[in-house]
Amino acid sequence: MTDYAGLVSAAGAMQRRQMYADPAVYEQELERIFGRCWLFLVHESQIPQPGDFFRTFMGEDDVLVVRQKDRSIKAFLNTCTHRGNRLCRADRGNAKAFACNYHGWAFGADGALVNVPLEKDAYFSEIDKSRFGLVEVEQVASYKGLVFGCFDRGAPSLADYLGDMKWYLDVWLDALPGGSVLLGEAQKVEIPTNWKLPVENVCGDGYHLGWAHAGAMKAVQSMDFSGFTVGNASVDLEGGLSIAGLNGHSLLATLDGVSGYSFYPDNGDIMRWLEANRPTVIERLGRVRGEKFWGSQLNFTIFPNLQFLPGLNWFRVYHPKGPGRIEQWTWAMAEQAMPEAIKQRILDNQLLTFGPAGLFDNDDGDNLAACTEQSRGWRTRQMDVYTNMAQGHSGRRPGLPGDIAVGVVSEHNQRYFYRRWQEHMAAADWRAVPQYNLNSLHAAEGLAHAG
Amino acid sequence: MPAETHALLSIDQHLALTQTLYREARLLDEERYADWLELLADDVHYRMPLTARRFRADRSAALAEGPGYVFDDDKGRLGLRVQRLESGLVWAEDPRNRVRRIVSNVEIYRAETDGEATVHSVIEVHRSRIDAQQRRLTAGRTDLWRLEGGSWRLVQRLIQFDHPVVIDSNLNVFF
Ligand code: FES
Ligand SMILES: [Fe+2]
Repeated sequence: MTDYAGLVSAAGAMQRRQMYADPAVYEQELERIFGRCWLFLVHESQIPQPGDFFRTFMGEDDVLVVRQKDRSIKAFLNTCTHRGNRLCRADRGNAKAFACNYHGWAFGADGALVNVPLEKDAYFSEIDKSRFGLVEVEQVASYKGLVFGCFDRGAPSLADYLGDMKWYLDVWLDALPGGSVLLGEAQKVEIPTNWKLPVENVCGDGYHLGWAHAGAMKAVQSMDFSGFTVGNASVDLEGGLSIAGLNGHSLLATLDGVSGYSFYPDNGDIMRWLEANRPTVIERLGRVRGEKFWGSQLNFTIFPNLQFLPGLNWFRVYHPKGPGRIEQWTWAMAEQAMPEAIKQRILDNQLLTFGPAGLFDNDDGDNLAACTEQSRGWRTRQMDVYTNMAQGHSGRRPGLPGDIAVGVVSEHNQRYFYRRWQEHMAAADWRAVPQYNLNSLHAAEGLAHAG
Repeated sequence: MPAETHALLSIDQHLALTQTLYREARLLDEERYADWLELLADDVHYRMPLTARRFRADRSAALAEGPGYVFDDDKGRLGLRVQRLESGLVWAEDPRNRVRRIVSNVEIYRAETDGEATVHSVIEVHRSRIDAQQRRLTAGRTDLWRLEGGSWRLVQRLIQFDHPVVIDSNLNVFF
């Protein structure tokens, strides 16, 4: 394996373009990033009943996630153990068993091989069915509704992998009783881009918003978009933070407690609901999270390929399909405790702005595609790209985990994302991957709970 | 959508409506969005549901809050999309992409209400984009059109998109 350290500068502020298009780099990513990290599989709300299944991907591996009789969740490689055919061809549903199209081997919801046609006549009853069950994903675990899988037995537990990011995640996952829910079908779009580019676009690139989305912002300028102006003429950074240094996970946050929803048209009912429920949230999560974060526009990134935005309310996973292609899956997200009418408004607004024909989403595809394409040329791929904005302007804040830069227009979070990428690419196994939850909550226990 | 009937319109009404369908496609190809909006009734409902591949025998529950959609627009929301496209600030459409819509398999029947017609059709959207990129998107459509002041206006459109995974990096197009 190659040590790809040279592709990212020490501080993460420069990347060699080769990393966006080189098949060899991509192969190593499949092994050392997607073969090693905890990857999002499904939200528990999507497979509520025993036998409910959901088909997804871990890297390029096709994976079937199935709710068991005892309500636990298992995940299997979606491939028949006989001759390798794709076992399940549906995106989701409910099934008692999965029968293979090719020769009819059938597997139970628990992955056991339960039926082999012509077992007596052709196999002379000599096949040991217990040896040919579906291959299970080594580790499956949930954090408050989000189910993750991991191919690496040596990985830290999901709780340790998420680390202090959990404290921020709870702003969506545990703000109100009932927790979170995903709405509707997956919105699937294929984009000719390297998977890292959409991740960096959302984890830290507040910079593109006023410019790339100028057309959309002009059309909806009656709505308040957190102080951004059409055409990037100016930006109001007041009250925003870029938070990173949490094992590759990060957060962009406005801190006014309303700006996610203030972007909605006719949002009176939503604002009233927020304020009516805020005391409960403060009681559950404390004042900092209840007053400043809950209701704000938040961009969450869980390394490597999961992102979600309470406020604009989309939830997204990027499945790599080669160095220059992804399938982007998006859902609308809400809190279970929200009234149906507000959930419907969220679905409406999310699909209008960030769905497959979303007013804002439609501006991003070509930029991401072209950054990938322009990393392929023999001369071009030797060039660098830069994430050096506001470098050296970050620090720690009492009670808030992570290394924090002021404002949501900053390349702070991208630097930590690429730094983490490089650490994984260079490490032979998990023991060589540094763990860092900077400004850990444990070190500042008193302050975190004082609010 | 209205119940299926098989009563035909008068020949001249049928002809006028067929011409309207083709004209609509050309208006969109030529990016004459204001003219296109004129073709839409004020109470238009323009809709493209999201789909998932499910087993035929699958009877599992629908997902929370329904399946969702790509478009679920009234005239106001379509107006927002047009405003964005006409802002001059949508970089993905500049230089302009060449788009051709082919409308085919047109079936027109009298609807239950007088002066309304149900129209089934197939649409193929060809996009010629940056460099050598070609995209071909197909969908089935079921429409309701209404005769208003002597011309046909689109009242409802249900678009059955054939691609569970959208095979383009944006959908800045109407169907
Ligand atoms: S490949 Fe599945 S039964 Fe043979
Ligand atoms: Fe964007």
